[in-house]
Amino acid sequence: MRLLRHLQHWLTGQGLSIAVADFVPEPHPVRQWADTFPWAALVAAVDRSFAQRFPTSRARGRAAVSTRVLLALELLKQELHCSDEQICSQLRTDLAVMYACGIREVQVDRSQGHFVLPEVLAQFRSRIDAALMDELLALQAAAAMDTGLVSPAHLVVDTFPSEQGSPRVNDAATLYKAKKKSSRSSPTSPTSALPRARR
Amino acid sequence: MRRFGRQCRGQDQVFVSLVRQTETQLLAPGQPVVGLARAAQECVQDAAHLTEDQQGRLATQLTGALAAHHQIVTQSRRLTTGKTLPQGKIVNAYDPTIAPICKGKSNCPSQFGRKPGIIAEPATGVIFALHLPVGNPSDPSYVVPLVDKVQQALGQVASRPTPAIHSLAGDLALNDSKVRETLHGRGILTVGIPQTVEPLTPAPTREAIRRMLHEAGLHRKRTPHQVQLACAAGYSRPVVESIIASLLCRGAARITYKGHRGAIVQIGMAVMAHNGATVRRILQDRLSKRAQKFRRLLRLKRHNVNEFKASKN
Repeated sequence: MRLLRHLQHWLTGQGLSIAVADFVPEPHPVRQWADTFPWAALVAAVDRSFAQRFPTSRARGRAAVSTRVLLALELLKQELHCSDEQICSQLRTDLAVMYACGIREVQVDRSQGHFVLPEVLAQFRSRIDAALMDELLALQAAAAMDTGLVSPAHLVVDTFPSEQGSPRVNDAATLYKAKKKSSRSSPTSPTSALPRARR
Repeated sequence: MRRFGRQCRGQDQVFVSLVRQTETQLLAPGQPVVGLARAAQECVQDAAHLTEDQQGRLATQLTGALAAHHQIVTQSRRLTTGKTLPQGKIVNAYDPTIAPICKGKSNCPSQFGRKPGIIAEPATGVIFALHLPVGNPSDPSYVVPLVDKVQQALGQVASRPTPAIHSLAGDLALNDSKVRETLHGRGILTVGIPQTVEPLTPAPTREAIRRMLHEAGLHRKRTPHQVQLACAAGYSRPVVESIIASLLCRGAARITYKGHRGAIVQIGMAVMAHNGATVRRILQDRLSKRAQKFRRLLRLKRHNVNEFKASKN
């Protein structure tokens, strides 16, 4: 039970239901920013790419966190300049972040620690490759052109330097920490539970 | 080692003998590593408890580490004896794709990292594509891949007529005759952002327009009006800098994800976040006077503010 509690990562509350869209005001910057993305096309592209490169033969285990949520979190991380832990924490408490992640309704549950774990976000990120990133950018640009908001008639090209830094907590450390935490929380759990725990 | 190098350079003179002594001291502990790594490779091949995949992965990692060690030793000996090494410098033993990015700025030391290239609409700042090669290749090598990516995006546009690229502006680093020829062959005008001391006029004369069309060989493909727009779009350097500044404040200044793929993901996500913010600005009509004028000339859709208020109320 402790293991399940620790790995609980989705909306399972039993309390009062809150309509997120009614709560976040229309002029809210995060809401307006999120409404500009062609989410359906982006999510379909990610799902298609993952299905081709990481095929799953059996549909076992806990249901995966929605691609829409993980993609939005990854984008919000850059927009709000947050770390993995910070953005996952904000998703639990900030209704604007929930709106941006496509969550339209949430059940109140004070005991629930988190919706998405940082290690799930790190795993999602590790599956994105250069071709998929190019496709996502092309889809976003095509959507902006389709709505007549931008034109590619006159363009400008430039380069800029980007320094390689070292993160305070890197993806390897996050995943290692997750393994340690899960093994600590279930010392007597059967070995068959481990693959589920990682998912 | 990097900090040490900076200290040596910061005293108005380079302490050559100190650098050479330190290099010898640092390389000495690494000498037995080569023998140990080769022994480890043999052990990996003989290890029966490892699967083939694991053996292959470990062997690849060991080979990579040995190659990096060899390259570090070679380049250190070469550099400390006063011979230059313009290409193929390794600055991080764990990631050989990182390169020194020399941008000719005298006010700061060379950054070690990557050099992403972007192609954007100058009026509003929407970025259409990103290109991030390994190392630090020349700037003109970015142009064709970026244009190809934009044309791929154009292929996904459902509205008709399909938009096309009329002109491309770039600074002096992109001024390459082969690139210009390639772009002219595709029917794209090329406009160079000049040095700031002699800015290009945003409204060229008829003679200048005729000359530009003649040089590009695009008399029948591009109109004088399109040349005027191209000059208006590409005459100002600060426009590009504002787009780059927006990316830098969204985390593109310092890459924290590991490896080349990690850098692509981080900068790609920063570009998408920037585009979202830019589209939001367009929808709210929060644009500069220049951008508004440019959009009028391009006959781009303007958001109806009254309609927005009505729907809100």
